[in-house]
Amino acid sequence: MRAVSQHKWWKALARDRFLYVLLAPVLVYLLIFKYLPIAGEMIAFKNYRLADGIFGSPWVGWAQFQKLFASQEFYTVLRNTIVLNMYQLVFVFPVPIVLAILLNEVRIEWYKRTLQNLLYIPHFISWVVLGSVVIALLSPSTGFVNFMLKAVGLDPVYFMASTTWWPVAFIASSIWKEAGFGTILYLAAMAGIDPTLYEAAKIDGARKLRQIWHVTLPGIRSTIAILLILQTGNMMDVGFEHIYALRNASVTSVSEVISTYVYTRGIVNLQYSYTAALGLFQSVVGLVLILSVNRLIKLLGERGLW
Amino acid sequence: MRPRGLARMPGIVNSVLLGLCAYVTLFPFVNIIMVSFSSSRAITSGEVFMWPVEFNLEAYMKLFKDGQLLIAMRNTIWITCIGVVFNIVMTIMAAYPLSKSRLRGRKPLSMIILFTMLFSGGMIPNFLVVNELGLVNTYWALWLPGLMSVYNMFVMKSFFESLPEELEESASIDGASSLTILWRIVLPLSKPVIAALTLFYAVGWWNSYMNVLIYIRSTDKLSLMVKLYQMIALVSPELLRGEGVSEVLITPEGIRAAAIVIAITPILCVYPFLQKHFIKGVLLGSIKG
Repeated sequence: MRAVSQHKWWKALARDRFLYVLLAPVLVYLLIFKYLPIAGEMIAFKNYRLADGIFGSPWVGWAQFQKLFASQEFYTVLRNTIVLNMYQLVFVFPVPIVLAILLNEVRIEWYKRTLQNLLYIPHFISWVVLGSVVIALLSPSTGFVNFMLKAVGLDPVYFMASTTWWPVAFIASSIWKEAGFGTILYLAAMAGIDPTLYEAAKIDGARKLRQIWHVTLPGIRSTIAILLILQTGNMMDVGFEHIYALRNASVTSVSEVISTYVYTRGIVNLQYSYTAALGLFQSVVGLVLILSVNRLIKLLGERGLW
Repeated sequence: MRPRGLARMPGIVNSVLLGLCAYVTLFPFVNIIMVSFSSSRAITSGEVFMWPVEFNLEAYMKLFKDGQLLIAMRNTIWITCIGVVFNIVMTIMAAYPLSKSRLRGRKPLSMIILFTMLFSGGMIPNFLVVNELGLVNTYWALWLPGLMSVYNMFVMKSFFESLPEELEESASIDGASSLTILWRIVLPLSKPVIAALTLFYAVGWWNSYMNVLIYIRSTDKLSLMVKLYQMIALVSPELLRGEGVSEVLITPEGIRAAAIVIAITPILCVYPFLQKHFIKGVLLGSIKG
């Protein structure tokens, strides 16, 4: 029996050898650049020394984590990461849904398509550029926004250096970059809604708003669910490039997040093991989050990610 | 029943509102472009909105004469071109075999690839692996770790799966080799998805700067975005308080704007030609994703 199945395997291998030859470099790539770094997380339990390498450095157990959890900075960075992500969830996540609903109501086809194409543009622009445009627009001396404030007789505000305004600029720039592009999936889901449902709603006397509430929103519920899972899975991770493009020395207390902290302490200040411990903490919590939200969404009767 | 004319009001309000959204989205870009063509006097007195004031090309002349931004741009073009070629080849090499349901071991292989999306070694272990391979400060440190995006690979795989099986079968009966089938039949049919992924990968490389920040050390090898970031970080006097950088480094507003315009022009130029492809690409990914 066993011999037969082995024989089959060989036949399949021989028949599809071309496909396996194609796959081989991919597997080598994944092994070296994806799985080796995962194994490299072990340096969180070591005291990494350049000369000894990942595998040769001495083990120190949980020492790096004890140091991490004892430091005040860890809690600041963790808080900022979670707070900024919460803002994203509350203020940024719903925007594409609303925008998609509005776009879906536009009946003039060319106008709708033009709007969509214009709204997608920021998605393709780098955070460095968007960040510098935001900084330029909000500059207290030469920024457009402050010229407007001065024109109506208000004092100029130095937005980017204020710990109150900086998160607002962060959220607004998020909406600017991704709200338009985020509508693509929702609009596609809306296009798939059976038009007879709208007809039936109309016959029942439902006005536009009720139609949106009872037909459109249920029609895109599973798309919302899936994007919500992905968003929550990212709860421990605020985009490095986004923060890096907007941050400055005056607002570190609200802008320093896990990724920027790992970069400055690890890559710049060479504290590899300490920051690897923080990175591992981040990855594990992220994995647990995405698994549990996926579970929760399935319990609520939606299709999960897997 | 409400009168016909009034019943159309919400629709008109909606259209106007959305037009306003588009305007707000694009105004900052328009403003920056106009600033880049205006005199520094007009910029500092806040006269520039939707059109250039005291039109001049001085900012661009200075940038071209200085040349640093151009070197960075040349580097970015090089990084992008080679990077995209690697990406597309690698993505096809992974997606094509995995799209064949007859492939033995397809399930575990897909799982191995999918897992890297859920859990990955962080910034530091990645850096150490690249460092121990001796790739730091070469562009291989950018290209090799970024050979393939798993998400894009699944997009391409679902496209391959949507192609009719019979095409390949009849070709193989005619005696075509597997390579010929892939090259002559499958890939020509896959132009739309290849175009979409080329756009995604190219934009990714063009805009990327975290990896350059981490892996590239020599000033003459820096990419456009990192160079731009350095210029901007050194520009705003307000942002420099307490960072001990002298005022001499401060670049005028107009030059900063010109640098931004140079950095986004290529993307804005290719965008209109590729916009119908990327929507297809995004939707393709969402079917199975």
